[in-house]
Amino acid sequence: MSVSLSDPTHTRTAEAVDVRGLHVRFGSVHAVQGVDLTARAGDGTALLGRNGAGKSTTMRVLAGVVPPSEGVVSVAGHDVALDPMAVKRAVGYCPDVGGLVPRATPWEHLQLSARLRRMDDWESRARDLLERFDLGEVMHRVTSGFSHGMGRRLSVVLAAFHEPEVLLLDEPFDGVDPTGVTATMDVIGETRARGGAVLVSTHLRELAVEACSTALVLRGGSAVARLDSAELAGEEGTRVYRGLLD
Amino acid sequence: MSTAVFSTEPLASRLLAPVRDLQALLAFRASGLDRRRRHRLQLALGIVVGLTLSAIVVPAYVRGSAHEAGVGKILGILPSIYLGFLVLAAVSAAASGGGRELVPRDQAVAWPISPTTDHLGSLLLAPLNVAWLLQAWTLLGMTSYSAGPKGLLLTVLPVLAYIGLATALGQVVAWTLEWVRRGPSGTWIVRGIVLAVAALVAGVLVTGHLTEVLDHSPTLRVYLAALNGQSPGLHTYVVPTLTTALLAAAAVVVGALPAGWAARRAPREEHRLETGLFRPRPNPASDLWALVRIDRAGVWRSVPLRRGLLVLAVMPGAIALAGHLQWTRLTILPGLVASGAALLFGVNTWCLDGRGGLWRQSLPVAPGQMFTARVWVLAEVLLATALLTVTLGATRAGRPTPEQLLSVVAVLVVVTGQVLSASMRWSVDHPYAVDMRSARATPAPPVVMVGYSTRLALSTTVVGLVFSGLAEVADGTTLILQVAAFLLLISVFRIYRARSRWLDPAVRAKIVVTIAG
Repeated sequence: MSVSLSDPTHTRTAEAVDVRGLHVRFGSVHAVQGVDLTARAGDGTALLGRNGAGKSTTMRVLAGVVPPSEGVVSVAGHDVALDPMAVKRAVGYCPDVGGLVPRATPWEHLQLSARLRRMDDWESRARDLLERFDLGEVMHRVTSGFSHGMGRRLSVVLAAFHEPEVLLLDEPFDGVDPTGVTATMDVIGETRARGGAVLVSTHLRELAVEACSTALVLRGGSAVARLDSAELAGEEGTRVYRGLLD
Repeated sequence: MSTAVFSTEPLASRLLAPVRDLQALLAFRASGLDRRRRHRLQLALGIVVGLTLSAIVVPAYVRGSAHEAGVGKILGILPSIYLGFLVLAAVSAAASGGGRELVPRDQAVAWPISPTTDHLGSLLLAPLNVAWLLQAWTLLGMTSYSAGPKGLLLTVLPVLAYIGLATALGQVVAWTLEWVRRGPSGTWIVRGIVLAVAALVAGVLVTGHLTEVLDHSPTLRVYLAALNGQSPGLHTYVVPTLTTALLAAAAVVVGALPAGWAARRAPREEHRLETGLFRPRPNPASDLWALVRIDRAGVWRSVPLRRGLLVLAVMPGAIALAGHLQWTRLTILPGLVASGAALLFGVNTWCLDGRGGLWRQSLPVAPGQMFTARVWVLAEVLLATALLTVTLGATRAGRPTPEQLLSVVAVLVVVTGQVLSASMRWSVDHPYAVDMRSARATPAPPVVMVGYSTRLALSTTVVGLVFSGLAEVADGTTLILQVAAFLLLISVFRIYRARSRWLDPAVRAKIVVTIAG
């Protein structure tokens, strides 16, 4: 097993995500305490860790939703503090909770995204994605009536819709049925195949291992290990993972 | 607490169980307050108590021989105003699906809260409403004004008992309507009832029988009892006062029945909306228009908001219409209606996005444009409701002078700006995570709503009174415009400051993260 916090083979220019010394504070709460993270184009990186480890906050920073309190965060070559708009154009983000406007339909979510992202001829891709995630029949229903799993699936659709350079999926498998899991895996695979970077935060370790090549384990707001995701597979992987969490 | 049908608990204990549960829920709500919030709550409650005492005492001592003519007018209309309070209590409780909830629905699922406890909680929250407070103060003030300072405590006792009775009866009506509404074809039945009542009132108005009907209002007995507080007799004071108090207690108990019936039925209208299809519209022509469209959907696709706004717009307008309100008095209405509309969602306006706020923040759009879209949508909601009220009220108000017309138009614009600036300020500075799916949810905790409603009611009423006075100034159009422009500038400045805070990424992050829960 090799456990390290940095990968010397990575060059900064190839990195779709480059985080150095990230700190995020909410008042007296120090949610993220010095996280370093790199993810190359075409890579899949899993963010693992217990509740409150700082995974979701890190994802929110990468999405340009929460500003970093300290540190340098570059996404698709853009500094999130200096050019958050460019970061938002490059990123597709599925938040950990909800992520849907309650009184709008899936189609209206996509329509808004297409408008703000200057997408032309987006309708056929939108329909295709909705069908693949088994949401075709509910595309004109307001999302407040959706089940948790349907909401998660739509959030993944919204994140992947514009084929972003960096796909950020926070708990995309939570409460999702096997069809949704397969569709999400396909989206992750396609994004990586076309050269996009994917970051997946999840508690479902086996799915993380399947979707990603690298795993970053966070504990108490800090990164404690970076390793090949294969090392977290199986019973040996469980032992390694537990050792990193405790 | 036993949940068995055939409980072995003593009857008294079972009857008191909802009261004990209510106490536990209140303690739970209070435990979430830090010292600063506790202090602010105490201050807000102190202000409400102070204003209530002022509404009782000040008018009684203001009255003098010079006011005899005024007293005569009040004597004639007070029983009708008492009746109006009952109507208001019923309508506001019915508009919010049976009354406000003490614990939000998504949190309440964790506990076995009985419909009776829920009913008692709604009753307790009923006064935390700007319309209720103002009407209650009006009743108390006008009664003490007409009775004078002698035996003031005894004068207000029947009025207080009546306020309790009207509130509890309003709750009974609201729960019953909610039960019907949730039944088969319930929405249509309730609409039919509303139309029938409206037709009945219109019929009474058109045939000129309004005064005759109001003269037979049972509220006349309460009012006479209040007047007899100066020299209380057994049959003229004690019996009617006690009867009113006992009826109030009975209404509290009876209300638990329809509350229980309603709780056993699912909210069909909300479910229909959540499962209904919305035809896709053409792609928006601009970023701002796209944002406005989504924001509008948040308001107009919400059953509780739509119903609340309609009631807010129509009820005061209908009362003004029925009461032949004059142009100089119409200036009071827009402020109250706009305040009520803001209290439905505007004071925590980002809650419309719910957890979708996180996703919306990840979209590549200038934050200032998001703010502008929300201001636009809130402004049109406030203006539309207030305009409908004024239009209804103006129908029978006669021909206005240019000053009167200009005053009403100016007050519409000014209070919209005033309420808008307060709403955006509070939305940015004090976001709350609320589930607005429930018709009974409030955009902020109930105690915070007291502060918001009091501040909005006071500030907009003062503005309404200022323009009411300006409407009487001869050749006062320039003065009206100057005052309006000055007040509007203050609001614009405040909105600009709220926008500046919103543009700070850290502030924006705090808002969306808080709202997302």
